[in-house]
Amino acid sequence: MDLKYVGKDIPRVDAYEKVTGTTKYMSDLSFDGMLWGKVLRSIHPHALIKSIDTSKAKALPGVEAVVTWEDVPGLNGFGIAIQDQPVLCKDKVRYAGDAVAAVAAVSKEIAEEAALLIEVEYEVLPVVDDPIRAIEPDSPKVHESGNILLHTEIRKGDIDKGFDEADLIIENTYYASRQEHAFLETEDGIALIEEDGTLTVYAGSHYPHRDQLQLSRCLNMPVEKIRVVSSPVGGAFGGKDELTIQPIMALLALKTGKPVKMVMPREESIISYWKRHPMIMIYRTGVKRDGTLVANDVKVYADTGAYASLGGPILNLALESSCGLYRIPHVHIDGYSVYTNNGISGAFRGFGVPQVTFAMESQMDIIAEKLGLDPIEFRRKNILKKGEVAPIGHHITTDVESEAVLDAMEGSRLWRERERYRGTDKNRPWIKRGVGLALSWQGMGLGVGLPDFGDAVIEMDPDGGFIVRVGCVEIGQGAMTVYAQVAAEALRFPIERIRVVIGDTRNAPDAGPTTASRAAYVGGKAIFLAAEEMNEKIKGYASGMLSVSPDEIEIDDGSAYVKTAKDKRVSYEEISSYAIERGGLPVAEGHFDLPTADKAIEGAFGLPHHIYSCCGQIAAVEVNTLTGQARVTDGAVVVDAGTVINQGGLEGQSEGGFVMGTGYALTEDLIIENGVVKTPNFSTYIIPTSKDMPSSIETIPVTNYESTGPFGAKGIGEIGMVPTAPAVTNAIYDAADIRVFKIPATGERIYELLKQKKGENK
Amino acid sequence: MKVTYIINGKKQEFDISPGEILLDLLRDNGYMEVKGDCYEGTCGACTVLINNVPYASCTTLAAGVDEAEITTVKGLGDINNPHPVQQAFAKFGAVQCGYCTPGEILSAYALLLKDPDPGEEDIKRALDGNLCRCSGYMQQIEAVKIAAKMMREAGDNGRV
Repeated sequence: MDLKYVGKDIPRVDAYEKVTGTTKYMSDLSFDGMLWGKVLRSIHPHALIKSIDTSKAKALPGVEAVVTWEDVPGLNGFGIAIQDQPVLCKDKVRYAGDAVAAVAAVSKEIAEEAALLIEVEYEVLPVVDDPIRAIEPDSPKVHESGNILLHTEIRKGDIDKGFDEADLIIENTYYASRQEHAFLETEDGIALIEEDGTLTVYAGSHYPHRDQLQLSRCLNMPVEKIRVVSSPVGGAFGGKDELTIQPIMALLALKTGKPVKMVMPREESIISYWKRHPMIMIYRTGVKRDGTLVANDVKVYADTGAYASLGGPILNLALESSCGLYRIPHVHIDGYSVYTNNGISGAFRGFGVPQVTFAMESQMDIIAEKLGLDPIEFRRKNILKKGEVAPIGHHITTDVESEAVLDAMEGSRLWRERERYRGTDKNRPWIKRGVGLALSWQGMGLGVGLPDFGDAVIEMDPDGGFIVRVGCVEIGQGAMTVYAQVAAEALRFPIERIRVVIGDTRNAPDAGPTTASRAAYVGGKAIFLAAEEMNEKIKGYASGMLSVSPDEIEIDDGSAYVKTAKDKRVSYEEISSYAIERGGLPVAEGHFDLPTADKAIEGAFGLPHHIYSCCGQIAAVEVNTLTGQARVTDGAVVVDAGTVINQGGLEGQSEGGFVMGTGYALTEDLIIENGVVKTPNFSTYIIPTSKDMPSSIETIPVTNYESTGPFGAKGIGEIGMVPTAPAVTNAIYDAADIRVFKIPATGERIYELLKQKKGENK
Repeated sequence: MKVTYIINGKKQEFDISPGEILLDLLRDNGYMEVKGDCYEGTCGACTVLINNVPYASCTTLAAGVDEAEITTVKGLGDINNPHPVQQAFAKFGAVQCGYCTPGEILSAYALLLKDPDPGEEDIKRALDGNLCRCSGYMQQIEAVKIAAKMMREAGDNGRV
């Protein structure tokens, strides 16, 4: 097919607004008579609330409302999967940062002062901060039901037989840190009551329609009376998937009848909201002398913190990918998602998979080295292909371009020229250089048993242009541009005259969450289907106007014409006038159900997925053996992308993912000690800056046509950061002969490992 | 107390309290293009130019910069007439969520005022104070190089 917009170098439709500072984020809105909201949060990680006295706060001039749990009209609980997190705590706090009360006042300063006047009497409880200790029966309980949120066990084959067959068994324990999303716009927004009594909430998030549903439960208000606008978002990466400030702002707006704005200062944002799950992963992998994997025994403890949110699904997605994209006959996977008082863990780009990929791909590197095999050859020998049985026991029925990804990794410049990036630096002999790689795979979409669909609406506007409505959000990834491209292509219509409306429950239909690498794929496909219907309607009008049958009409570039007589044509402006005269402008709807697997994995809700993405990465590093600091100098990202809709967007995701992954590998560690966050700001929680950037990141798409996606596209939003950490730590091993079992591999940790190695060599 | 600034070329007077932070003052007065809320000068989203030097407005006291010339990203250009740095960022994929973008553009502009032909390391150093979480910084660095070229070719050094 000759494509005009898809795959072309189309600049972002929102770029000029953003570079000139005219984009209005939710945090930039203000309304007349607006109040400022402030949350009083628990300073204790675990405590009973004995009493809450708001009288002094209420008496402060300028304070218009103080709310506690008593003011929650509906269910005092939210959570995407399980609603166990109170909007405002009633009798117990479970993490330092838990919301206890909130104030609305005429100024930010008065709101802050008033919050400090609220007196809460606590009875401090012992802190639960170790996920392994937490599941012991005598551990203090975070929730009455116990500390195990989810236990999933999956068996395939006979694990003991597998280890009997193995010539080499490698056993290690890996630790992955708690990662902060570090989006630049914190959790900010405004809630207000409209003249007709309905509630509007403006707050950046991944899924306005689900926010609306959750708010409806908490506020005991019909869904129709709540409007949520959640786009554009100043970055999210999963961190705004769950509710954040929305229910508290809404309570304050309902109580005062006035617009209430809340802005999270960075420290409050980091202390109070979602993180990537820290995981402890115990791996025992068996392999034959010739490099055939025969057994993998995996145990995972995920620290989900104080509340459920998506802790269960995250554990299961991690387990699905925990054995890598490899053919392993005998598998035992045992995972726990555990409540603790360590803040709250939730969705984050990769959804549990970066952690287990670090563990499994380290195992693979160790085995390849022990058996003297080339790391790519070793992976190729065991790689799973379409039609084969995955480690959790289901057949892979769709294309996951595993072999093509390995081929492209092998063919990448960095791998071919790797000798140039290895060895001791001649001028600085304390600098050791090395190259490492890792492979990953991840399910796309929400998985079996969950509603996973997208709706889109296309309307012709009175000038003969189009409005495309789809409920996903612009989170920075370029959704609006991709949607405009897909619509322009499918409508065969100039992109400049297509307006995309997203992220608003009133003005765009539900297209599911902008998560799980699904927004371009599902939203794009729904738009494609709506466009097909619109094209039929246009042909219908044109046939009436040109007095021929609709089959004889062709459309292109904003006009409809008779196939056999191209000068007989009508413009879309004319069609719109014609349609208005006949009852109204055409509207078309598209509905797409994401294909799911036909059989579920017993005991593992949501598994398996049906479509997978695959990504392989190569990293070149320098290790300074004097300071222990490692630096990524070059990278290559090979990603199974299906059709690339927007090359610039793909590179943005791949480079951004890779650099986020290097931060995860080397510096990022949200430290919580005794339930208290020790790194609550960017001066202590270190993310990569322009100076940490590698000299080159080569992005290599493997472009196999995904038959179910829009123009053959599939999702790539998450996978770009999934294999980075093990690629980096494997490169550190190649450089300095030290094996990293705990990320981040900070300077201190590497220095310690170098010191240990020196001791061993003596 | 009263302070006077020239913001984006326009003289403005404000009545401020002694402890007022420049970021809050600007945002409270509608300069929403100035982002940021770390309040410790580490994220760079709140960058403004004070007499053409980039500052974190979240750690700048409003009273301390009385009579200064303050430039926000809107002072460089608008949608109909974007500055070369803005054009390059928009055209070459240097924008994703866009929240860091105003600050990055100002840091880049300030660099190019001083050095019309900066090397890659100079650009990295100039953008080091502006955190971006979406990108890998590569497209921004490319955009600054392209903007530098556009400005050199225009011959006016791009000063607004």
